Amino acid sequence: MATYTSSEKRGLGGAFFDALGTFYRRRWLLGYFIHRQVTRSYRRSYLGLTWAVLGPLIWVFFLALIFSHVIGIKNRGVEGDPTLNFGLYLYCGLLPFLAFSEALNKGLNSIRSNSGLVQKVVFPLEILPFTNAIASMVDKVFGFGALLIMLLFFGRTLHWTLLYMPVIVVLQLLFILGLTYIMAVLGTFLPDVGEVMRPVIRGMFFVTPILWPPDRLPESLSWIEDYNPLAYLVNAYRDLILAGTLPGALSTLYFALFSVAIFVLGFALFVQLRPRFADHL
Amino acid sequence: MPAISLRGIGKKYRIASSKSLRLREILSFGKKQHSQDFWALQDIDLEVQPGTTLGIVGRNGAGKSTLLQIVSGVLQPTTGTVEVNGRLTAIFGLGSGFNPEFTGRENAMMNGLILGMDRRQMLDRFEEIEAFADIGDFIDHPVRTYSSGMKSRLGFAVAVNVEPDILVIDEALSAGDAAFKKKALQRMYELRDSGTTVLFVSHSMGMVSRFCTDAVLLHRGHLIASGTPDEIVSEYRDVLEKAQGQKVTKNAERDRQLDYTIAHEDEDDMPDSPNGAGSRESRRATGEAEVLGVELLDENREPADQISAGSDLTVRVRARYARAVQQSSFGVVLRDRSGTLLFATSTNSENVSLGARSEVEVVTVDFTFGVPLAPGSYGVEATVTGDGDRLLGQSEEKTAFEVVAEEHEVWGLIQVPTTVEVHGRDPEEQGQAT
Repeated sequence: MATYTSSEKRGLGGAFFDALGTFYRRRWLLGYFIHRQVTRSYRRSYLGLTWAVLGPLIWVFFLALIFSHVIGIKNRGVEGDPTLNFGLYLYCGLLPFLAFSEALNKGLNSIRSNSGLVQKVVFPLEILPFTNAIASMVDKVFGFGALLIMLLFFGRTLHWTLLYMPVIVVLQLLFILGLTYIMAVLGTFLPDVGEVMRPVIRGMFFVTPILWPPDRLPESLSWIEDYNPLAYLVNAYRDLILAGTLPGALSTLYFALFSVAIFVLGFALFVQLRPRFADHL
Repeated sequence: MPAISLRGIGKKYRIASSKSLRLREILSFGKKQHSQDFWALQDIDLEVQPGTTLGIVGRNGAGKSTLLQIVSGVLQPTTGTVEVNGRLTAIFGLGSGFNPEFTGRENAMMNGLILGMDRRQMLDRFEEIEAFADIGDFIDHPVRTYSSGMKSRLGFAVAVNVEPDILVIDEALSAGDAAFKKKALQRMYELRDSGTTVLFVSHSMGMVSRFCTDAVLLHRGHLIASGTPDEIVSEYRDVLEKAQGQKVTKNAERDRQLDYTIAHEDEDDMPDSPNGAGSRESRRATGEAEVLGVELLDENREPADQISAGSDLTVRVRARYARAVQQSSFGVVLRDRSGTLLFATSTNSENVSLGARSEVEVVTVDFTFGVPLAPGSYGVEATVTGDGDRLLGQSEEKTAFEVVAEEHEVWGLIQVPTTVEVHGRDPEEQGQAT
């Protein structure tokens, strides 16, 4: 018999690990939620889930086309590798950025947009931001597949360093989960945060070396890259996918520590404030 | 161990007339106050034993829904403690968690998982859910193609098949057509009889007195009374009347009438109107027998509170003798909403002898008769009489049921079986004449 005492006072640690356990106990619910998130936008189309790959494929194809010889804006050759199409280089940087911006945007609304579940059923709320984050990561995995297809299409060799991608993706996931939980809490209690985050996210696009190669940054501004976790991700993606090199060990360690810290912080904050969500909708 | 135990529950909301006022208050660091505290609930102590069906009544805004949300764990109380033992399923509006783009089957699965079922359990029960919802092939179509009735049916089907220990229902049964309501009600009776604890908010006093074993009355956030459903229903009426009394208007007479209509509106399915009470047997029972229950069964001998016009109704009367009797007779009385006597019979008049009965013996008698009645609400009372027409015992309340139209409309009070023959000089001429 399931017994609960809703006013029971538990330590934060207990609540934290209890909530973590929810992900295992309610794994089917989690699975269905993620499936629902991923497939929702393709439900009404004839090709269905095929669009998850086809969409990014069309996009990366256009990017590659725009920056190819055909159209002729072939600009600034990518540093160190003049043969590389700038479109692919750009796309490779866009993948982690989009995962980041989606997580923030969806995280802000993850509680509000599910007010039915928050107010009407006894629901493990920690599942909501989690599915948002996972769903947008799954989406990016399809995008990653599209990128690999284009790389093969352009006759480039796939580097063995691709095998390290899962490590980066797991760290990235922790980073994104942490941010999503923080955003979920902020967005629920302070709806105005959404208005603040929009310009912040756009700004992040420009201070991260996505459009511009990192080595163009003047020495005096190098801190923009050094203290930007997103810059680490973009560079790591490009190293592993395009260059075939490993990202620096020390920066990877810093990023890993940072990701774990932000996840623990975000999740703890969420678990702590979760009981008050229903009052604020 | 009680199924639910609430101690000192209070729920405070802070009401500010606008966001900007609230912001000014926050920025003043407590120096200015623009918002008021509002206690939606205060000092609620309540224990619900397993197997109880508890009706929660009160006016709009009395705190009924807030209380249910606190019991379900959706809302946290500001003060006090909540203890719930058992699997709790709450229904606040059916099918509210459905996603329109997904099929009924997918949504039912999601809904079950949300309510805490395993995937395996849901797959096992799917047939039952499908049969209960009874929406045919629509189960594999997106929910956006459903009518609102179909949505509620599916939602209810999932919720009751989760087999909760504690079921919390907030006005969920107001949706759906008569046939579904009947089915839903039957399922709720089953759950109740199988020992499920039910917490039930309703504005229908008929439902509360018929369905619940206990009731509580909430008024302005306070639990002001608890007792049997009938006590609480009459207390609730007093509260409503008091609310009327406070109003002084020029058009007092019309106002009073309006209030009366509103207050008794939900009695449409409940025959306990003042006339009915007045015309009730004024004789007092001696107490030598006690009517334990009056149950209504439909043609299939299933408990029902809706009977289709023209079909058979079985009234099952259970009574216990408080002392030995030589002879006695069970009787039933059928009245309409206004209390008019429609039909009465007894074991004596049907020439059935009950014989001598000893003390504490319990006897059950079934009366089955057709109800050729116009659609509407009716009530049944039961009596036990002894020799010399002495009233030994009678049912404390009317058992209400509803007659629903099946084939064609009934004009007047009853539907008398009629045969029609047409006589004419000859069929052709007849055709010309008309």
